[in-house]
Amino acid sequence: MAVIAHTAHKDKLAIHRLGLWLFIISDSFLFLGLLFSRFYLQGVRRPPEINQPLGLAISIVLILSSLAAYRGETAAAYGDIKRFRRNILLTLGLGALFLVGVGLEWSEAFRSFPPSTGYGTIFFTLTGFHAFHVVTGLLALTVALLPGQRARLQEGNSWGVEAVVKYWHFVDVAWVFIFPTLYLVS
Amino acid sequence: MRKAIAVVLSLGLVRGMLVGMAGAGAGMGVTVLLRAALGLSAWNPGPVVAIGTITGVLAYLAGLGAFSYWIRWALVAEPSKEGERHRYGWTRYLCVDINHKVIGIQYMATSILVIMVAGALALIFRIELSTPGRTIMGPGLYNRFMSLHGISMVAATLIGVSGLMNYLLPLMIGARDMAFPRLNALSYWLIPPAVVLLLTSQAAGGFDTGWTAYPPLSIKAPLGMQLMLTAFYLVGLSSILGGINFLTTIFKLRAPGMSFFRMPIFVWATLATALLQIVFTQFIGMVLIMLLLERLLGLGFFDPAREGNVLLFQHFFWFYSHPAVYIFVLPGLGVISEIVPVFSRKPLFGYKAVAISTLGIAVGGTMVWGHHMFAAGMEPYLRIPIMMTTLLVAVPTGVKIFSWLATMWMGKLKLDTPLLFAMTSIAVFLVGGLTGIPLAIVATDLDLTDTYWVVGHFHHTIFGGFVFPLMAAIYYWFPKVTGKFLNERLGKLHWGIMTVGFFTSYLPYFWLGLNGMRRRVYDYDPGLQPMHLVATVGGFMIGLGFLLLLSNLLVSAWRGARAPANPWHAQTLEWQVTSPPPEDNFPLPPQVVGSPYSYGVPGSVHALMPPGGAGEDGGKEAT
Amino acid sequence: MPKARKHLLILAVLVLVATAALAYLFLQFSFLPIPASSQASTIDKLFSAMFAIAGFFLALCLIAMLYAAIAFRRRRGDASDGPPIQGNVALETAWILIPLAIVIGLGVVGGLALEKISAAPEESELEVKVTALQWAWLFEYPEWGVRSGELRLPVDRPVLFRLTSRDNDVVHSFWVPEFRVKQDAVPGRETALRVTPNAVGDYQLLCAELCGLGHAYMRASARVVPEADFMAWIESLKQ
Ligand code: HEA
Ligand code: HEA
Ligand code: CUA
Ligand SMILES: [Cu+2]
Repeated sequence: MAVIAHTAHKDKLAIHRLGLWLFIISDSFLFLGLLFSRFYLQGVRRPPEINQPLGLAISIVLILSSLAAYRGETAAAYGDIKRFRRNILLTLGLGALFLVGVGLEWSEAFRSFPPSTGYGTIFFTLTGFHAFHVVTGLLALTVALLPGQRARLQEGNSWGVEAVVKYWHFVDVAWVFIFPTLYLVS
Repeated sequence: MRKAIAVVLSLGLVRGMLVGMAGAGAGMGVTVLLRAALGLSAWNPGPVVAIGTITGVLAYLAGLGAFSYWIRWALVAEPSKEGERHRYGWTRYLCVDINHKVIGIQYMATSILVIMVAGALALIFRIELSTPGRTIMGPGLYNRFMSLHGISMVAATLIGVSGLMNYLLPLMIGARDMAFPRLNALSYWLIPPAVVLLLTSQAAGGFDTGWTAYPPLSIKAPLGMQLMLTAFYLVGLSSILGGINFLTTIFKLRAPGMSFFRMPIFVWATLATALLQIVFTQFIGMVLIMLLLERLLGLGFFDPAREGNVLLFQHFFWFYSHPAVYIFVLPGLGVISEIVPVFSRKPLFGYKAVAISTLGIAVGGTMVWGHHMFAAGMEPYLRIPIMMTTLLVAVPTGVKIFSWLATMWMGKLKLDTPLLFAMTSIAVFLVGGLTGIPLAIVATDLDLTDTYWVVGHFHHTIFGGFVFPLMAAIYYWFPKVTGKFLNERLGKLHWGIMTVGFFTSYLPYFWLGLNGMRRRVYDYDPGLQPMHLVATVGGFMIGLGFLLLLSNLLVSAWRGARAPANPWHAQTLEWQVTSPPPEDNFPLPPQVVGSPYSYGVPGSVHALMPPGGAGEDGGKEAT
Repeated sequence: MPKARKHLLILAVLVLVATAALAYLFLQFSFLPIPASSQASTIDKLFSAMFAIAGFFLALCLIAMLYAAIAFRRRRGDASDGPPIQGNVALETAWILIPLAIVIGLGVVGGLALEKISAAPEESELEVKVTALQWAWLFEYPEWGVRSGELRLPVDRPVLFRLTSRDNDVVHSFWVPEFRVKQDAVPGRETALRVTPNAVGDYQLLCAELCGLGHAYMRASARVVPEADFMAWIESLKQ
């Protein structure tokens, strides 16, 4: 996203940052709405069949992935391309693992509370919306590994990495709210 | 021959639509095959069309070239700007172009096109309403036309305000373009598929739920409903992306010296509108997807048999759609605030209060959604607080109206078409706002809700806050955009016919509503006929007004009188550059030194233009 | 500036005259159907108050604008600007505070009116269960265990309607214009509406929420009859 304005490079960065933050703020209202629906429709009800250990496990995986992403971002900022790639690949792996976990979760949920039931409606929608964000995050992380970004890193421009990592953190934070609302409250 | 085909294919719109259709076909084909392979009934229109819509829209965007820069950006360090070099002439408007002025015009043209189609629908069903009983159509077709009219007009309004803001915002704050020009192009190009989907919905059984799409009715509606929901979603997405862009532009790209309280009111309006867009549009997007999921996959959000709740939809719908009505009107009210001082030759009275009232309306409007649900069985404890918050919005709105009047008072009113339209806007919006008060009060709303009183109320507010200001804006900025004047005599005729037509058409709605005329019915008590007949005649006068506008636009674009850089002697920045403005607006940044509306103050200017980039005069004195 | 004062004086006179004329118009021609319930008279009073307030602001703003367009139009050959008045704090405060006071007042009055029309009466209420379906109305009188497709009510007795729509049906809305009040019938929940009919007559119950193809014709007759006739009707239903 290039900027045409009377702006220097530093200003461009500030513009990009603001744009990203506005996007994240905007998107967080989507999750707010989803969480509201959960309480509006189901109160704090929670089926006993829900697999809390698995939920906890994938939460940890996602938090670890955020950690790896953070290390990747720092490495990128210092121009350490090797370490950057290693950490982002690790993030990708953990993110994929999270999706596998959600898949397991879903196959269990299909048996105990399918999407056509009250709780299932909420459960599948919340996890589904979130998983969709995870998928887009993984795509963005992959883009950060492509040659374009690598070349920019060599020039000392790590904005692209910063952006996808911020987005990834956002996806992670969203889960930090979703996990207790679906798995813990009652 | 081959050359002609090559030229047509070089138009992004054509290419995009062709590739999009192929993409939709492929998506549907693959889904059918997959379903067959999985042993499901191969042709289930819902899911098949849903997948086809998604692949179609993505293919269309790719075919159009909306993603090409980003793909290059992913692959090489310094992506070439290949394909973004400026085209000239009209073909530019049918391609992906990242100049905000081109995008603004694309939005405006689309908006006017959709208004014409939706208005033509309204005229058709007004004929039906001119007599009780069946006149030209039955209830099924009536409901479909009425619903398509409503949602298309809402879409056209959202598109139109985006257009106004796109064209004017960078010029008014002294920026060379929007903060994210390519994102801006993408926001626009999400609109054409939405329009196409809305129109094709009619081939798929249409939808008969009104624009509000309340379940369970919308769960039962035919396939056309699904296409309408997707179209609505695309318009919403465009609105969110646009909002992010507007806000970033306002916060980061103002010319040196332009503090917040030196911004023109239209910029304040854009700020408030964009805030509403990025916060509230998410909720409608979400609830539209919920509705789609319930239709397609049998989820149970709104189905009481499965612990769902019908009112959840209404809450979310209005949580967006009420703020959305302020998205419709705030830019329009901004336009009035621009035009009134220029043509009264006086500073805007109480500039600061007007600026703050813009934010006040936006913020106040966020907590009033429940006033659409007073009779809907909503949580009873919400009724009184929501009545109170709704009423409070009258205060900042009043500030605006009184300030405009005080600006005109003792001025030197130049009664040109822009001011005439601005005055009609004020009158119409005033009636619309005042008729909102009995709707806000629960006890009287229980009588008025779902009657023509409501229909009268919102046609007044939307015409007063969007349609008439749009007319004013067209007459005011057309010389800037094209370098030519619109025909003033034809303009005054247009104004007269539309103003008289408007009141002829919509004042009767209030009487009808009080006397038991329900909304969304094609048949009514014969005692109501005279007023309905009057309303129909008025409707056609408005239509005639639109035709006059079109002819004025076409004739003047072709051979209008040449306009100078600053024909109205206005002070805001867009008038300090040539007409039409240079490709990148301000080759050198202007230096803002004062208020945008200091007419009559000796020697005052809004901005100092760097040598070489300035227009003829700073708008100091009138001639 | 005496000239400025003169303009304001003319404006004030014109606004007063126009407000009076509008008020006369509203009082002289009732724009509403006859009221047939005790709720209706409360609501009609509220309507009158609001029409008066709206009439005043309408007159004020429209006349000020038209007056400005005529008296302050630019004369031919006059190229000067108007006086550079930027604002006036007292005036601006006034036009924030006065409307604020008015809307708060309206809110209080409106809230009290709502209390009044929805409060449970002291006498015993007649309970009527209303089921709305695509596209008909069903009325049940649990007191006598009878059902009917038309609505009959005894005059002057408070009625409590309990409305529902079936789970697989859609939203409808119960409205008798002469009663003034409206309430949706929503699938999956029961909503309530209180009406005390107080004028004998034949009215029409209309469905006010779009409910599909038959929405326009989803009507039922609603008759308010003397107590004795009502009991006779109930008896006839029992057979
Ligand atoms: C497009 C813009 C728009 C605007 C600006 C408004 C503005 C307002 N609207 Fe409106 N409204 C709609 C569009 C709009 N509306 C639409 C589209 C619907 C119907 C949707 C549907 O169901 O399809 C609707 C429906 C609607 C309802 C629901 C009706 C129902 O279905 O039962 C209500 C109820 O409270 C309402 C109230 C108001 C109020 C109080 C304002 C206020 O903001 C108005 C404030 C302005 C003034 C009051 C005038 C100026 C002020 C003064 C001169 C000051 C002095 C005044 C006083 C002291 C009173 N509107
Ligand atoms: C921007 C918003 C907007 C605008 C401008 C209009 C404009 C008009 N509206 Fe609309 N209306 C709505 C928004 C709008 N409406 C909404 C949101 C609803 C609610 C729907 C619902 O209940 O769900 C509604 C509902 C609505 C109803 C109520 C229907 C019902 O409840 O049963 C009626 C009834 O008369 C009506 C009439 C009209 C008329 C006569 C016009 C006229 O002003 C139109 C004037 C005509 C034109 C602008 C066209 C001119 C063009 C030609 C003559 C040439 C045609 C040529 C080509 C197509 C090439 N509208
Ligand atoms: Cu039932 Cu409309
Ligand atoms: Cu509203």
